[in-house]
Amino acid sequence: MRRSNRWCRVGLAILLLVLLALAVTTNRFLSLDNARAILASTAFVGITAVGATLVMIGGSAVSLATSQTATIAAMLFLATQGLGLPTAVLVALVAGVVLTALQGAAIGFWHANPIVLTIAAGFATTGAASWFSGGTPVYPTAKGYDILNTTPASLPLAVYVLLATTVVAQWILRGTTTGRQLYLVGENRAAARAAGLPVGRLTVIAWAFFGLCVAMTGTFLAAFNTSATVTLGGTLTLDAIAAVLVGGTAIAGGRGSAVRTLGGAVLIAVISDVLLLRGYSTGVQILVKGLLVLAVVIAVHLRSTRGRR
Amino acid sequence: MTGSTTDQALDRARVRVEGLARTFSGVPAVRSVSFSVGAGEIHGLCGHNGAGKSTVVKMLSGQLAPDGGRIVIGGEAVELRSRRAAQRVGVALVDQELSVVPALTVLENMLLGDLGVPLINRPRAAAARCRRVLDDMGLGRIQPEQALSTLSIGERQLIEIAKALSQKARLVILDEPTATLSDVECEHVFAAIRRVAATGCSVIFVSHRLSELLELCDNVTVLRDGRDVATTAAKDLSVGQLIVQMLGETPHRLSSARAPDPGLAPALRIEHLDVAGRLTDFTLTARAGYIYGLAGQLGSGASDVLRALAGLHPSATGSVELHGRRIAFRDPVAAARAGLAFVSNDRKSEGLFLDSSLAWNLVATRLPGLGRGGVVRPRRVRATARSLATRSGLPETRLADPVRTLSGGNQQKTFVGRCLHHDDVVVLLLHEPTRGVDIGGRAAIHRLLRQAADSGLVVIFASTELEELLELADVILTMRDGRIVRRYEGDTDGALLLHDMTHRTEIA
Repeated sequence: MRRSNRWCRVGLAILLLVLLALAVTTNRFLSLDNARAILASTAFVGITAVGATLVMIGGSAVSLATSQTATIAAMLFLATQGLGLPTAVLVALVAGVVLTALQGAAIGFWHANPIVLTIAAGFATTGAASWFSGGTPVYPTAKGYDILNTTPASLPLAVYVLLATTVVAQWILRGTTTGRQLYLVGENRAAARAAGLPVGRLTVIAWAFFGLCVAMTGTFLAAFNTSATVTLGGTLTLDAIAAVLVGGTAIAGGRGSAVRTLGGAVLIAVISDVLLLRGYSTGVQILVKGLLVLAVVIAVHLRSTRGRR
Repeated sequence: MTGSTTDQALDRARVRVEGLARTFSGVPAVRSVSFSVGAGEIHGLCGHNGAGKSTVVKMLSGQLAPDGGRIVIGGEAVELRSRRAAQRVGVALVDQELSVVPALTVLENMLLGDLGVPLINRPRAAAARCRRVLDDMGLGRIQPEQALSTLSIGERQLIEIAKALSQKARLVILDEPTATLSDVECEHVFAAIRRVAATGCSVIFVSHRLSELLELCDNVTVLRDGRDVATTAAKDLSVGQLIVQMLGETPHRLSSARAPDPGLAPALRIEHLDVAGRLTDFTLTARAGYIYGLAGQLGSGASDVLRALAGLHPSATGSVELHGRRIAFRDPVAAARAGLAFVSNDRKSEGLFLDSSLAWNLVATRLPGLGRGGVVRPRRVRATARSLATRSGLPETRLADPVRTLSGGNQQKTFVGRCLHHDDVVVLLLHEPTRGVDIGGRAAIHRLLRQAADSGLVVIFASTELEELLELADVILTMRDGRIVRRYEGDTDGALLLHDMTHRTEIA
């Protein structure tokens, strides 16, 4: 275990050194504006990824209905602007939590397969969103949402929300009974069940928290774009999964942390930023992101299998 | 022992292990182990938990590289980089854990990973060979085309042993092959091992069952603290001598004599418990402070009583009352809330959280009680884990280590210790409480269970081991084919129990 841990660290150090060398030699990288840009681009995906960390640690893998859920939260948020900002936010968040917690209940209590279930839920959610919007973009009925686009201390509000979410998620995972039990459920579901741990309830809590995070991303996306179409969520689903994986959370559960997911999200953003500044196309950026996820997943896998020897 | 033999004789020995050593992150698991196994010899390997048996087996079968020493097979030093490499030089292994594939047929499992299988499949020849191998193991009732999932765990183990023995290996290693087998099945395995040895194959047999070792083996090497203590001809040894070699002392034996205490009211009343196809009309009134032993082979229903009570048989019917209150037992969460704690016989997949630390494993089932308002209080968790470790006889220095790195005996103590000194636990249900645990660890676990009973818990365990039943239980229920055969309070003997468990008799 020690030896492979060391290899992981060496690999990570090399990666960071290469990245650092590339970064400092890149024009305009070392500027306050660029740092702000990186943080801002991390925020939307990061909030969702932090929530997804709980789901993955709890052993129910990933949700493939993430961007759809964010979209419907965004639509509800914009459509209810007329009721005032607090109400609109509340409606969006409650919708996200309820939708996602229901999926968690099916997984936790009735042992549904999370991949299959969330594919189905994703289609259903998209269907509901198209029906709700009538296939046309949803526009806000009032301007209250603009507060979400403010930039206190020249950082977008979403960045503060991301940091707060990370702190809360980390505290839930490490500091609460629920979090500790979630790690145990993720590590060995059969053992947790035989020991009488509330597997179903814990799974629902993890998914509900995830739903809250997705809905927050959805509201920020809505405010940022000032309108919401069915495709608003974009590649959020896979981007969030990538950030969690790059953070080193085990896909099978039982290991990981919210802070490391934040690190994963920032790392991806930095790499994308460097490539962007050096003039590479979006295609190259996505390719590099893919390779990075692959490398980290292999490293995590090696560590866990070697550790078992 | 080998000091007087000449070098030439040593070379003829099929397998020789010289000064083998292996360290795990600074902790030596095997310091220096040497022994040799001649052609056609059945060589026993035994030792206290953590003595290094499993590590030696892993090095011999190519799963672990030794840090020092060498392995000589047929006069040539070999370097075994993988299990396949070991197979290529003729080492076959029957692991503690099952490595057969339930979804495949018996025949397909036999062919799986066998280097001798021809490139082009010849089904008829393969089936005929499989038939022969099965018959040799006394498995005439099993068909090569049968899916493995239709067989019991014991039968699967027999298939795995048959597979290893049929591989024309030079060295066959059996790591506790009989742990899950009934006595009748064991006899078949022993006969098959003797047959293989008679063809000139070397056999290394690892077991905790000492009488079994003495019955089967020619020589027995005892390991202690990663060193070989002695290699002795089995005919010159007794179980008592073996124990002295293993522990350096005679272990404490529990007295099973127990005066009935009329002051204790019935605590647990189980009535007409039924699990379709497994258990019929099980009724038992259990008193607090007593240990109840369910004696039954695989498929007798003994384990199903425990699993049903623990909520792991959702289709079970019947009524269970605890201190006069009916409890819901068809769901594990409800069972745990009612105060029933279950210790499975499969501590790896249904018991411990192997990658989590010893401390978290000890407190895993009582986290809500250690927090305030859902918030974990780390100091309280640490103190509880430390006190549980001390009371369960676990090394405090390893509290932060993953449970995976502990020896089998300490893992089992962790599993049992997790349920003890827990205010909410009223009934302890244990399935094979000392499976794969050496004699010292076994006595320690028995002592823990006796203390638990003395503190007012109902303890019910299921076991196939006669010695354990006789040593530990106050009341023994023998079971067969899903029904209770007889109830014993006080003295009985192994022959009586075994008779009830294995023979069809009419009960008045």
